Order: sequence, then structure tokens, then C-alpha cells
Amino acid sequence: MWAKCFATMNPSPSAEDEGDWQSVSPKLATARRISLLLAYIPVLAVVVILSRLDQVPWQVAPLLGVFAVIAGVWAWWIIGRRVSSFGYLERSEDLLVRSGILFQRLVIVPYGRMQLVDVTAGPIDRSLGITSVQLHTAAATTKAVIPGLTPEIAAQVRDRLARAGESRSSGL
Amino acid sequence: MPDDDQIGDSFSQEIGFQFSGSMNEPGGPWRVNRISPLVHAVRTVPAWLAIVFITASALGVALGPLMFVLGVLAIAVLAGVVALFQFIAWKRLTFWFDAEGDLRVDSGVFTRQQRRVQLSRVQAVDVVQPVAARLFSMAEIVIEVAGTGESRVKLSYLTTDEARLLRETILARASDSADQSEVETTVIAQVPGRMLAVSLLLRTSTAGLLLLTIIILAVNIRTEGLSGVGIAVITGGVPILTVIAEFIRYYGFTVSDSDDGVRLKYGLLKTEHRTIPAGRVQAVEIVEPLLWRRKNWVRVRVNIAGVGNSSSSSSSSSGAEALLTPVATREDALSLISRIMPSLDIATLVWHSAPRRARLRSPIQWSFLAIAWTGTIFAARYGRVTRHTSVIPDVRTQSVRWTQGFFERALTLASMHVDSTPGLVSISGLHLDADFARTVAYEQAERALHAE
Repeated sequence: MWAKCFATMNPSPSAEDEGDWQSVSPKLATARRISLLLAYIPVLAVVVILSRLDQVPWQVAPLLGVFAVIAGVWAWWIIGRRVSSFGYLERSEDLLVRSGILFQRLVIVPYGRMQLVDVTAGPIDRSLGITSVQLHTAAATTKAVIPGLTPEIAAQVRDRLARAGESRSSGL
Repeated sequence: MPDDDQIGDSFSQEIGFQFSGSMNEPGGPWRVNRISPLVHAVRTVPAWLAIVFITASALGVALGPLMFVLGVLAIAVLAGVVALFQFIAWKRLTFWFDAEGDLRVDSGVFTRQQRRVQLSRVQAVDVVQPVAARLFSMAEIVIEVAGTGESRVKLSYLTTDEARLLRETILARASDSADQSEVETTVIAQVPGRMLAVSLLLRTSTAGLLLLTIIILAVNIRTEGLSGVGIAVITGGVPILTVIAEFIRYYGFTVSDSDDGVRLKYGLLKTEHRTIPAGRVQAVEIVEPLLWRRKNWVRVRVNIAGVGNSSSSSSSSSGAEALLTPVATREDALSLISRIMPSLDIATLVWHSAPRRARLRSPIQWSFLAIAWTGTIFAARYGRVTRHTSVIPDVRTQSVRWTQGFFERALTLASMHVDSTPGLVSISGLHLDADFARTVAYEQAERALHAE
């Protein structure tokens, strides 16, 4: 039973799932790993400071360091799995986005309910040449994000979605 | 910016012209009532009183007649400054209906602001009477517009008659219908004060905290220690204050039916009027706390587009914006719901329950978890102590989600969610059979597509 908790994505392909699922660029994993490393700078600082303090027992700093390294390796590995779990499928009337390893989700957004499409890229993303496309509906809980697309594909997806949305707008 | 000498002081003097002409004709400009600066100043008096009092006691001034006079003078001067500032604000604030028939508001002392309220996007128009305004029989108008961010417009103050008239004008123009100056309203539900008080006391969290307080006090009396009294003050005081606050807030809750939608009116100290425009309700939820069930009482909450997603809406008012009624008998509630959401019959829904193995994931609520659909609406229920039943029309379905946490995966369970506009009502079928949830999610997306 516990083995199933860690089973890989796409547990039960059903008839509706059939189609040309697109995956995202592996550069996304690189981008996320860079931000992971950046997040480790303050951790490193804490470990260094703790090892210099006399009041703290000497074992604390190395223990913390080892723990941080193990957590980092796990995060490094999980980032790769998470990135490969992202997928999207443009159907004739709606967009499907799936993601997640431990917590899996699938969002179905009818084109007619789209309010706007955002294309964003942070500094790390830009230097690697990837962007993310986010769909907004009138619901805040929709959260349909496709990260890690190359700018050309992102622009194409955005234009296709915007066109599809315009011709079908309804739902408020 | 309209010419200064053309500005009408009173809205009501010109209103006759408004209703005789076409709805999309321009009108105005007008100013709000000229005693508004005074009302604004009076509203700040309690704050000045507190500040003067605290300053005096901090300086250790002995209370005497001279000090009293000085204190009153200080408050008068401070309120006077506010009045002066508000006078300039009053001078600068003008509103009118432009050539397209939309409401325009120019305002601001330091930062000039020009706003255009697109009347087709108006979600609700409320007449609000704070205590200070009520002293002068004045009211303010609050206009909610669909959209994110700063999406509410306030006009303060107008006489109560002018406020009602302006609200009717805006609603009539917004719904784009002909002469509605005399909107017929019929009261369809009213909450008796006793029922409101009892229902507030019997809410699960309130009743639970009060019970806890009694236990703490009983233990303290038995052990003759007083250590728990401090905790009892909090566990007993917070729910009692909440009950009193909500009682004052919702006292005399009246629901009436009118051509432009359902109207709500409530409040003991501050009377609030809300209009839920017909056809703007996104989702409905029936809430049944454990202790209400014997009395067959329910609370009804709604999601309305444009309300509840603006950060500007203060936390104190966000709860009320989501209420259709704070308490009603089940039958009354269902007939109320049928007015805002026709074609819904909750009693005849066929519920598809979560499988028995879901009890390992949610040992308490698993037996109540279920979803239902009819081809025009989707419904989901959850909760055991307080039961929640929420309904969303397929037309209002924004998107559909299927989620599976890792514990759910171990039990081959999954949840599906139908997304509505921001608000208190969420529609989630929790811990269903994974494949079933997936199939229903796809089917619901399909129904949302073809709903009209």
C-alpha cells in the first residue's frame, strides 16, 4: 500500500486523457535547481556562524550541515521528477494541465472561461530562455500554470489560447 | 471636469428629469450633500476623544473644569480641521452620468482621481448608514463593480431619500430596463430576533467554546484554584462578543424580492441594504451546524461575482457580503434559493458517495462526503459536525480540477473541485474513488462547455 504513495505520475489513463500531451522544457529543472542553490546561501551562512560560536556545542554545525545536504539532494532529485510531471494538452474546447508528484493535480479550463493569459519570466528563467504561461479565469482557485516553455512556444500557446477564448467567451 | 457653476448641489432636484428621459441620457453633474464635511468630522469625534483623554492621562493632568473646557476645545479644533479638509474634498467631488450613460466620479484633494463606473459591470449597490450619518439622517452609497483590485466606489453622504433614489437610478440604468423609479419590493423572509440570537449561540464553534468555559470554571471551583480563570475569560469572552457583534450586525435581517434582484436589509446600529442583482449569483452553500439540525435551521451563503475579491473590502464586511440569510428554516431557505437559482431541487438530487475506504482518510466526515449533478448544476457536500452542501450551476463553472494527495493515492482516492469566483463557497467532492472522480471531472468540464 505504501509503495503506491510514491507511484509515478499518470496513474490511470482514461479515454479522455488520450491525446498529444506536451511536456515542458528540461531547462525548467535547471532554473529551479539554481534557485534551490540560491536558497542554500543563507543556510550556509547559518552553518558557518554556528560553527564559530563558542556557546553552541561543536556537533551542532556539522549535524545541521549534513541534514541540509541530505534535504538538498532530495530536493534536487524531486525537482527533476516534478518538472517531468508537468504536461499540457490543448483540446478543441478546453486546456488540460497536469502536474505534481506527491500531490498530483489536473486542471481542465474551458477556453470560454478564460479571462486573461499571462506570460511571465523571472531573471533566472530569462537567462535560460524559458517562460511560463498562466491562465486566469474568474475563479482564483483555477491556478493553471504551464512553466518552462521556450518563448516562441509560449507566445504561440498564448495567441492560440487568446484566440480560442475570444470566440467562446461566456460564464459570468 | 465639469464647469464649477453648473454643478447641482442636490441630486434629487434633478432626478425627475432622469426618469422621464432615456436611461442612457447624460445627467448631472452633482455634488454630495453639503453637510457631508460635518458628518465626516462628527465621525472622527470618538477618535479625538480617545486621543485627548489618553494624552491628558499620560501627562498626568488633574481633571478640573478648566481642563474639561480645554479638552472640549481641543476636540472642536481637531474636528474643525477635519471638517475643513472634508470641505475641500466635498468641493472636489462631483459625479455625473456621461454621454454613454456610465457613472463618472471625480474626487481627491491631493491626488485627483477620475473614475468611470461602467454600469453594465455593477454587481451591487448598497446604501450604508453609519451611526454618525444616521444622526443627520444621511447615508452613503457603496457601488461594487466586477473586477480585481480597488473595485468599490463610495459616495458619502446623501440624504437617505437621495441615496435610495440614486441607488434605484444606478440599478435601473445598470439593468438597462425602462422606468423603474417605483421598484416593487415584497418581503419574502424575515429573521426574528430570538431565532437569530439562539442560532448564533448554537453555532458549533460558539457552543463548543462556551462548553469549554463551563468545564474550565467547574474544574476551577472544584480545585479551588484560580489558574484557569484567565483562560475562561478568553474562551468565554470571545464567543460572547462575537455573538453580540453578529446579533447587532444582522438584527432584523429582511429579504425582499424586487424586479432587479433580491434585496437584503439588516443591522441594529448601522442599517445596511444590499441588492443581489438577478442572475449574478455564482454559487450557493447551505450550512447546517450540529446543534441547528434538531430545529431544522440552516444558514445560506452565496458567491457573487466582483464581491469578496477586492482587497479593499474590509474584513468586517466581507462575511455579510456572502450571506443570503444568517438563519432560516430549511423550507424557507430552499424557497429563497429557488428565487436566485431556479431549476434547482436539492431534495431530489442523486448523491454519489465517497467509498467506504475513505474513512481511513477522513474518519469523521467520510460518510457525508458526496457529489451530485443534474445536467444544469453540480453539487458537493462535506462536513459532519457542521454540514456543508454547495451548489454551482454548470454555466458558472470556471474550471474543473482533479487532485490527489499521496495518502489519497495509497487508498486509490482522489478529490475533484469545481472552481467558482472568489468567495466563501467552494465546491469540492473530497476523497472519491480516483477513477470515478476523474471521469466526473471530465464530464463536468464537458457540461460546463455546453451549458447555456
